Amino acid sequence: MEKILDVARIYKENRTRLKMGRVNGDIGHDRQVTSSKLNRPGLELGGFWGSFDPHRIQIIGQGESKFLKTQSAEQLKVIFNKLLHPELPLVIFAHGAKPPECAIELARERKIAILTSGVVTTYLVAYLLDYLDWELAPSTIVHGSLVDVYGVGLLFTGRSGIGKSEIALDLVERGHRLVADDVVKIIRRADNVVIGTGVEMLEHHLELRGLGIVDVRHIFGIRAVRQQKRIEVQVELQDWDSIQDYERIGNRNTTVDILGVAIPLIKLPINPGKNITVIAEVIALNHIMKYMGKNAALEFERKLAARIRLKTRINELQRYLKKDFE
Amino acid sequence: MLKQTVTIHNRYGLHTRPATVLVTTASQFKSEVFITYRGIRVNAKSILGVLVLAVEPNAEVILETNGSDEAEAMQKLVELVEHKFYTEE
Repeated sequence: MEKILDVARIYKENRTRLKMGRVNGDIGHDRQVTSSKLNRPGLELGGFWGSFDPHRIQIIGQGESKFLKTQSAEQLKVIFNKLLHPELPLVIFAHGAKPPECAIELARERKIAILTSGVVTTYLVAYLLDYLDWELAPSTIVHGSLVDVYGVGLLFTGRSGIGKSEIALDLVERGHRLVADDVVKIIRRADNVVIGTGVEMLEHHLELRGLGIVDVRHIFGIRAVRQQKRIEVQVELQDWDSIQDYERIGNRNTTVDILGVAIPLIKLPINPGKNITVIAEVIALNHIMKYMGKNAALEFERKLAARIRLKTRINELQRYLKKDFE
Repeated sequence: MLKQTVTIHNRYGLHTRPATVLVTTASQFKSEVFITYRGIRVNAKSILGVLVLAVEPNAEVILETNGSDEAEAMQKLVELVEHKFYTEE
């Protein structure tokens, strides 16, 4: 999913919180921001341009402003001629600093937006980084149901009509919380965390075959739903197929790639008389156990190996003793 | 009903990997499949059943198949045992 973030939106969504002001109207507000990184151009102002990336938002903090004041008009022109690169998305003067005249003029010429911010630079940087990271995070939409089961985010997938919504409903009935059904929007945060939410229109509605669309929040109340949840395990529901090689031990770590993050995958065959809801609860609890360091499958495997080793040794001893005819 | 005694050649006995192969293969047949070791007879379609036997290397076990495709099942299972369940070189 392609996200479009332009200067106008950054200004609109952060102006109050970051006490932002516009210096040159809406010039350059249609420019797109593609990098979630920021740059405080201290080194560049000092004359080193070796690592300057013109696609980053430039933040002029208090230190930079103070430095700029020591420069002559000529020097300022040289600096801003380079800093206001034609591709630059945005310059923000933090800590209530006023941009020098020559910068405003040049920005107008090159159609680059300049904003001011009344907040402390460190806070501005921290907040803006988080905002950009969120807005520019890679995202995707999957067909499935996301439920918080005992605090573990279980993403149910499988062919249409296999019963994802029914399982979600059953889990809600048992006191778990629905995050999204049918359409799950997934965003990657940091390197190894994927978070699922519902899409705006759908909220906590789900479709039940033969009944139609129902509103889970309305029927079960606020405690039955949740806004967003980290996805921790994907449960793929499959039609029972005797040929398929289903997991029998649980010591293989099958994973699925969601936005570049490896998520544990459990393939669950469905057949009549199987209570998937209870199994889902066990999947969640087992995941917590594994996280806490107790892996039942591995422990069993180890115990078994030790047992076999012991038997092998006893056999060798018995063979040895049999030859002892003295 | 067919019965055959076979020797497990796997270096570490019937541990989880070969046992999984045995169980998934046995499950593909309609016949009942049993495995007996030291007098304990378990269903070869049950992974836990097979694992509790903790069969060590070079031990002899009795395979038993019973049903419409018993001959086919026995042939396939014996082949697996002889090839160390295709889990070792």
